[in-house]
Amino acid sequence: MSRFSKLACVALIGALGATSALAAGKGAAPAANPAFEGLGRAATPAEIRAWDIDVRPDFKGLPKGQGSVEQGQDVWEAKCATCHGTFGESNEVFTPIVGGTTADDIKTGHVKNLQPGSSFPQRTTLMKVATLSTLWDYINRAMPWTAPKSLKTDEVYAVLAYILNLGEIVPADFVLSDANIAEVQKRMPNRNGMTTDHGLWPGKGIGTGKPDVKAVACMSNCKTEVKIGSTLPDYAETAHGNLAEQNRTIGATRGKDINAAKGQPAAAAEKPSANAQAHQLAQASGCTACHGLTNKVVGPGFNEVAAKYKGKGDAEGKLVAKVKQGGAGVWGQIPMPPQSLKDEEIKSLVQWILSGAPAK
Amino acid sequence: MADPMKIRAANKDGVTEVKILMSHEMETGQRKDASGAIVPAHFISEVTATWNGKVVLQGEFGPAVSKNPYLAFKFKGGAKGEKVTVSWVDNKGDKRTDEGTIA
Repeated sequence: MSRFSKLACVALIGALGATSALAAGKGAAPAANPAFEGLGRAATPAEIRAWDIDVRPDFKGLPKGQGSVEQGQDVWEAKCATCHGTFGESNEVFTPIVGGTTADDIKTGHVKNLQPGSSFPQRTTLMKVATLSTLWDYINRAMPWTAPKSLKTDEVYAVLAYILNLGEIVPADFVLSDANIAEVQKRMPNRNGMTTDHGLWPGKGIGTGKPDVKAVACMSNCKTEVKIGSTLPDYAETAHGNLAEQNRTIGATRGKDINAAKGQPAAAAEKPSANAQAHQLAQASGCTACHGLTNKVVGPGFNEVAAKYKGKGDAEGKLVAKVKQGGAGVWGQIPMPPQSLKDEEIKSLVQWILSGAPAK
Repeated sequence: MADPMKIRAANKDGVTEVKILMSHEMETGQRKDASGAIVPAHFISEVTATWNGKVVLQGEFGPAVSKNPYLAFKFKGGAKGEKVTVSWVDNKGDKRTDEGTIA
């Protein structure tokens, strides 16, 4: 990328940011910045609506709607229970959503199980979350994991009502809506547990504390080099497959790339083969979140699937149907949710899996 | 009296799947508290599930079962709207009985 186009990119983002902020604030036509004459364009109201979905602690931005506990149970069983368990109690795929809160916590707004000396083994979502808007916003923008933003507004209300009922924050016949959500907020178990006085909030005005980290320069007897105290033995490095492949590609945590350690570069320079394309598709579609190429993660490894169906003529059709409709029981109790991929994509994935799922 | 159980039951193709979340401390009797004294054992010892007055599951639990146990099982039969009744007894004689409706 040339120096010029980089600059242009930055300018474009800057211009878009400025105009959308103005448009969102006033709803008026944005003023052109003479420094960026001819660059970018004002975001359309539809674009801003699609982007501006956050719900704030005072429920600003919350769309109108409602959902009952009962409706929430139906959505939950269809889309959420596979990972979170029927009662939000499952610890198998994610940490539990429900548990650890008491009627007393709802009264005081402080969760006793978070206090020092508690014997409760874990921190569940309902123990930690202080603002109901956070749950609403998160479910709305990120759930279900395999199809984020697919829930209707009323379904988000319903699912949230169901979770709150599991936590015994609302009764079983409760209907959560934009009108009464602020009332429910006053019953959140950890509503008074949020602190802002730790200097980790951006900007002025929210909390005054300083982060409890102190980088003090060492002045005497300083260590001159970093010594690694312990490492995994070679035979254990592959115990959970190639961690670098299983992690998201954003953020700091990667995991060691085992292929790179063996001297095989992870990224091939030539045009990707059919196998590599199928592998990419599997990664992009979220398959590899639960299935390893050569190892069990949550679901069976692709090599295990290939071995099980080897030499069976009807395996392809059967697996295509399984991927489409989801299934459970063959490899264990954790069900696989139905996958919404194109038919030819599923077919190519199944063929690739049956061929042993080579990475490239 | 312990907290109520959560019970879900759903019928599909003539088979009813029942899922139960019990609320119980399930103390093993092996743990010690902060002062070093043994926490007395307190666990569910018997679980019974009935449908239409007929026992569809009977089990003996022990101290190896986790706190707030989760139990799922299937039985043949059951129809929408019918009730499944689950009850447990613990080693201190506490009892709890709850009902779920088959969906």
